[in-house]
Amino acid sequence: MIAFEQVNKFYGDFHVLKDINLTIQDGEVVVVIGPSGSGKSTLLRCINGLETTSDGVLKVKNIQVNEKKTDINKLRRNIGMVFQHFNLYPHKTVLENITLAPINVLKQSAEEAKKTAMYYLEKVGIPDKASSFPSQLSGGQQQRVAIARGLAMKPEIMLFDEPTSALDPEMVGEVLDVMKALAKEGMTMVVVTHEMGFAKEVGDRIVFMDQGRILEEEMPVEFFENPKEERAKVFLSRILNH
Amino acid sequence: MLDFSILVNYFDMFLDGFKVTIIASLIALVASFFIGAIIAVMRITSILPLRWFGTAYVEFFRNIPLVVIAFFFYVGTPALGLEFSGLTAGTIALAIYTSAFIAEAIRSGILSVPKGQMEAGRSSGLSYIQTMRMIILPQAIKIVIPPIGNQFINLVKNSSILALIAGTDLMYQADLISAKTYVVFDVYIFVALFYLVLTIPLSTGVGYLEKRLAKSY
Repeated sequence: MIAFEQVNKFYGDFHVLKDINLTIQDGEVVVVIGPSGSGKSTLLRCINGLETTSDGVLKVKNIQVNEKKTDINKLRRNIGMVFQHFNLYPHKTVLENITLAPINVLKQSAEEAKKTAMYYLEKVGIPDKASSFPSQLSGGQQQRVAIARGLAMKPEIMLFDEPTSALDPEMVGEVLDVMKALAKEGMTMVVVTHEMGFAKEVGDRIVFMDQGRILEEEMPVEFFENPKEERAKVFLSRILNH
Repeated sequence: MLDFSILVNYFDMFLDGFKVTIIASLIALVASFFIGAIIAVMRITSILPLRWFGTAYVEFFRNIPLVVIAFFFYVGTPALGLEFSGLTAGTIALAIYTSAFIAEAIRSGILSVPKGQMEAGRSSGLSYIQTMRMIILPQAIKIVIPPIGNQFINLVKNSSILALIAGTDLMYQADLISAKTYVVFDVYIFVALFYLVLTIPLSTGVGYLEKRLAKSY
């Protein structure tokens, strides 16, 4: 479970997150949408401590993320993250990308880690790319490797930060399919995305943000049919009607 | 035509100087690399006093002439009760001076690795040190090899500073030979050739390494 209680964040004078209260249950798929600069990515990155919070309480699995005595590395084992620009390690093969953390963080044997890696590569549909370097793959394939890399740590939570925004339109589907399958298996997912189709189909809940605030939290059907906030209506009309 | 008899008659002196130049360069090269690496890490750490020290070190030593540092260790430190031979003083000065440049090269190499690499490593549960060692530094090395190679070539050439403080290096011996024989032109041509014997393989080696690393991924 992830729980934000009155969380605020400042970059200097800039108030990025304002009074965030949000609870995400185990197994839930929460899709965060909103205009650029609304604080979606920052919100997501607070969950695994890539960003610090300025005040308020943020707990993941009942552990306070921004506490000095919290072992952040231990907490992060349980939270996989997929980035907009994949962030694969270019000097390592696909297999090495996936096994690096299991071997060095979870202390798995190379053999065990390889087996797990192959299992997830199979799952994302590119087992034949195990010995390729990231630069030899398409964007969609790279992002699927990044998802497999996250899953290989067997996390309970997966964070997705605009996972399809840097992809060619043709590659978007293959990445979303992997994410859909993951959601069906009951993974707890927090997804920042502009893919409204995905949000509608897979999301258990939509969180709409603007200017650092959560304006609306709603079931997808309700949100897309009947947005309550004026800002949400404008946002939806702009992205859906063209 | 060059007077090769000078080279033959004084070959022992040339050779002695050449050996000293090699030894001083090698010691300064290894020392400056390690000092430079440590200073580079200090310059990017979030621990402020260390960062300040690293910045002060680089700005200070990079911006004063090597001769001044060499003279400091040769004629300055005896006032503090520390006496060094010309060779030792010159080697220390070379190491310190070059390390400031190497620190800058390594630092910019580390900084040129995209931020997402550190984030990917850290978010998978690796520690800062693990991420640095397994993800950031292997990528930074590739970027850093050409500038560091240039610093090493400069170091070999700068070692001629030893001649000014009786460091018995190649340049020092050449001064002696030309004073003895009144031959100036030929002697320094030979000296130049001796330096080339060191620097050309060094730059070829760096070029080879650069090419090999470029092909690695």
